[in-house]
Amino acid sequence: MNRSELISRFLIVTGILLSVGAPLFLWARTPLIHARMAEDGGWNPDIIQAEVGKPLHLKITSDDVVHGFAVGQMEMQSVDVLPGKVTDITLNFDKPGIYTFFCTRWCGLNHWRMRGTIEVSGSSSDPEPASSLLYVSLDLDLDAPHDAPVVPNGKPSATNGQLLETNLPIDLSAEYYRSHSPYQVFNELSATTLTESQRWDVVAYLWQTNTTSTSLVNGNQLYAQNCAACHGENGAGDGVFADDLAAAGESSMQTMEGAMDMVMQSPVNFTDPRRMLGASPALLQGKILRGGMGTGMPMWGSIFTEEQIWDLVAYIYSFQFEY
Amino acid sequence: MRFRISLLLFVMAGLVVAFAPLPVPAIAPQERTFQIDAHQFAYSPSELKVNEGDTVIIQLVSSDVVHGIYVDGYDISVEADPGQSAILTFVADKPGSFRFRCNVTCGAMHPFMIGKLTVGPNNWLYRSIGLAALAVLGVTVSRKQKV
Repeated sequence: MNRSELISRFLIVTGILLSVGAPLFLWARTPLIHARMAEDGGWNPDIIQAEVGKPLHLKITSDDVVHGFAVGQMEMQSVDVLPGKVTDITLNFDKPGIYTFFCTRWCGLNHWRMRGTIEVSGSSSDPEPASSLLYVSLDLDLDAPHDAPVVPNGKPSATNGQLLETNLPIDLSAEYYRSHSPYQVFNELSATTLTESQRWDVVAYLWQTNTTSTSLVNGNQLYAQNCAACHGENGAGDGVFADDLAAAGESSMQTMEGAMDMVMQSPVNFTDPRRMLGASPALLQGKILRGGMGTGMPMWGSIFTEEQIWDLVAYIYSFQFEY
Repeated sequence: MRFRISLLLFVMAGLVVAFAPLPVPAIAPQERTFQIDAHQFAYSPSELKVNEGDTVIIQLVSSDVVHGIYVDGYDISVEADPGQSAILTFVADKPGSFRFRCNVTCGAMHPFMIGKLTVGPNNWLYRSIGLAALAVLGVTVSRKQKV
């Protein structure tokens, strides 16, 4: 073998190795995230480091069933994570902080426990002041019972209410709607000459004026994806997991009072007027945001934006009122 | 000679049993709704029976993880998350028995998550019973002729 042949052989081999190896090396450097059902460990790793301004490349695969991936409070399309396949995803973060990523396809009773965090470091140019949430500024006790003492006979109709409302001194603003329960509004209308069912109709109208059709559509979508498996597709608290939750008995979440308060595990029935008409939008916001209440209700504050929670609240009231 | 004629008769009878077109039963097509509960790793109910021409509506309800349903032969599928039941509607225009299976990887035993859709009466079963009876008859007749 002469010298030139040796060199050309060497060049060809290095060329092939480089063209194949370099992309492979770069691809292998991004770590593979494994998704498993929460019972089997959830995300692994479940803490990811990132930096502001630097795109974060992730490779995700599933070890058991179909999972999904999305980051809470971010405008992003969730991606499916399928067993035996690797999903590539690139994320960009504008602000530092701790983000929650979560599973978006129902993967079992403990699906919602499948969460992890992305710690984004870096300096933010304009730190936003934390806005105070309505249920906090109203100082509502999320765990206190809030049943309405009086309920209407049928579903109050907003159309009837609109006809009655014209000459009433009623506050239609969002602030008033959000801070009052339907029963409170009903009670404040007792000074008027209206009958009980007419007063409920006016309440339904107040709720309708503070609900847009887009927020109902958004709320419906969020509800189907995140709530219906336990609370039921029709809101009756009879979702596919309701029996499993009741059978599971005690929730694994701890309350301040101890484990004795933890027998109530069945999902709330949103079609029950006593419960729903006694709850203000702000109270429901707090319950969705914080979760708990001695049940297996997840904490959604790190996942939904404030707007998404208001959309959900608007949708949940639609089980009570005829819009 | 007599043996040959009876043989020919039996062969003819066999052909008739196997291939004769059956009178189409006059059953008006109707809408049939099935609610199938899908869970690891089975469907309940897992056997569906419909008549040819029926409109089949399958409401798939998943009660643990994401499942799907794919009907062989009809080549149609739908996928359901728990809490988001899905509906599959089709016209059962092909007679026969068809396998349906989960088309979403739903765990270790996923390949065994199957069920059966039967469209129309199981004619091949009746035909093969008829053929078997004919064969038995043929053997007895030929034995008697030899004796």
